[in-house]
Amino acid sequence: MSAYYLGIDIGSVGGKAVIIDDSRVIIASIVIPSGNNYATTAASLKEEVLNMAGLKPEDIKAGSSTGTGGRNAAADSYHGVIVCNARGVNLVFPSARTIVDIGGQGSQLIDIDEKGQVINFNISEICATGSARLLQLVARILQVNIEDLGPLSLKSTQPSSFSTSCTVFLETEVITRIAQGDKPEDIVAGIHRSIADKVSALTRGVNIRPEVAVIGGGALDIGLVRSIEEKLKLKVLVPQNPRIIAALGAALIARDRYI
Amino acid sequence: MPGMDDLTPRLYFAGIDIGSTMSKATIVDAEGKMLAYVVGPTGAQHRLRANKVMEDTLSKAGVPLADIAYIVSTGYGRVNVPFADKQITELTCHAKGVAALFPDVRTAIDIGGQDAKVLKIKNGRLVDFLTNDKCAAGTGRFLEVAAETLGLDLNEMGNISLQTDTPVKINSLCTIFAQQEIISRLSTGEPLPDILAGVYIAIATRVVKLARQLKVEVPVVFTGGVAKNAGMVKAMETVLGVPVLIPEEPLITGSLGAAILARDEAFKLVQRGEYQAHREKKLTEARVDFGEKTK
Repeated sequence: MSAYYLGIDIGSVGGKAVIIDDSRVIIASIVIPSGNNYATTAASLKEEVLNMAGLKPEDIKAGSSTGTGGRNAAADSYHGVIVCNARGVNLVFPSARTIVDIGGQGSQLIDIDEKGQVINFNISEICATGSARLLQLVARILQVNIEDLGPLSLKSTQPSSFSTSCTVFLETEVITRIAQGDKPEDIVAGIHRSIADKVSALTRGVNIRPEVAVIGGGALDIGLVRSIEEKLKLKVLVPQNPRIIAALGAALIARDRYI
Repeated sequence: MPGMDDLTPRLYFAGIDIGSTMSKATIVDAEGKMLAYVVGPTGAQHRLRANKVMEDTLSKAGVPLADIAYIVSTGYGRVNVPFADKQITELTCHAKGVAALFPDVRTAIDIGGQDAKVLKIKNGRLVDFLTNDKCAAGTGRFLEVAAETLGLDLNEMGNISLQTDTPVKINSLCTIFAQQEIISRLSTGEPLPDILAGVYIAIATRVVKLARQLKVEVPVVFTGGVAKNAGMVKAMETVLGVPVLIPEEPLITGSLGAAILARDEAFKLVQRGEYQAHREKKLTEARVDFGEKTK
């Protein structure tokens, strides 16, 4: 019987867990809200992902954790999220050399080699504009589901332009644009451009080399992904489940350490 | 004063500063001495507000509009003051106003409703500056968001913060995430005064970081609406490590500077013998509009 490895990533918004087997195949994965007690969140993540996989705790040979709250997980080792993202992306897209991660509190740009080793990286300061948080806010103002922002944005013919890059001021400006009669799709597309601008500002010091993988909660938004492609003038790769990449990387590291 | 007689009897000068949150107007005499000032909220209709704040200042000074020789507008909404003779940027006006009140000033820090500026001034002249208008952290907006989140008014918030010497450290510089952090700190039972003091320290840290890029030299003058807040002043002095000077009315330095520059501009025109022509041209334009609206 194969051995199994667990990776847990507790971010500012979501907690994720992934189980892989000896041959690095994903057996189960789960995403739940991070909540306010990371130790409890880590325990429920482990329990639920084991249930999904139909495994018992003793089937897990090793586990690693990562993310803001990852140190609260009772894992065998803790690793930085940059390294975990690099490993995770390398498994899913071996050809990827640049990672754009759009998370709940900011974004990161990581330059990796063919083995998934980190060459260089750049992390934004904690800023709502370079994060998925701005999307949440815009969805609320426009009264649409956050999942619908992407498809809505793709309908835009004339993206709204915004004079500010701060989420606080953007909130006011979005309302002004609504009052001026801008269409919801144009507002969303304009916001996607603002986020793409903010993320691409991180490129200073980091080489953008194809292929580029976009991960994190922001990658679920097709409109944002398109805006990033436009900004970088490149096609990007998006994993099927972009939120679990760091947890996957943590599981891969757990496996390496065990074998 | 050169050519003063040419202006008689119009020997008063006005500055009007339309900020993102507040509008201010100041009237000075030929010596640059302040006669009156008025501060009111800007609101959505800049032009109406400009008329109103000007009208109120005139009546407070007891001076008819006809006695105002020259008007300078400044601030974010300065283009929306049709009766102004000239528009001058807020940095120039602000430096002039601060130096008029504190002739020795070397560093002026202004925190407004949506921006923050740091000015280096030497011998009354602006020599360098930096502004933040990109990010709400480090502006009055951050305080408004905190006050809203806590259901407190801004003054109350300042006074409560003074009750402690052990501020919590607010980790998020981003206003959006700081709001979340304030809520979670409350839920974990941190005392309100400590949280509030932490909020002020967070803003001060952000602004002082900007100021340090230009090197902080004393005396430091602190202005803008946020300088009225006792909690903010304490935090500013703590983070800077030096005391700050605050004008009696910290909101009006921009409009005061504009009024003094209005006087300078008028004298320049008089010296060149162009004042009468300017006056007639202006009278047929927007000032007529202003006179009619405020009758």
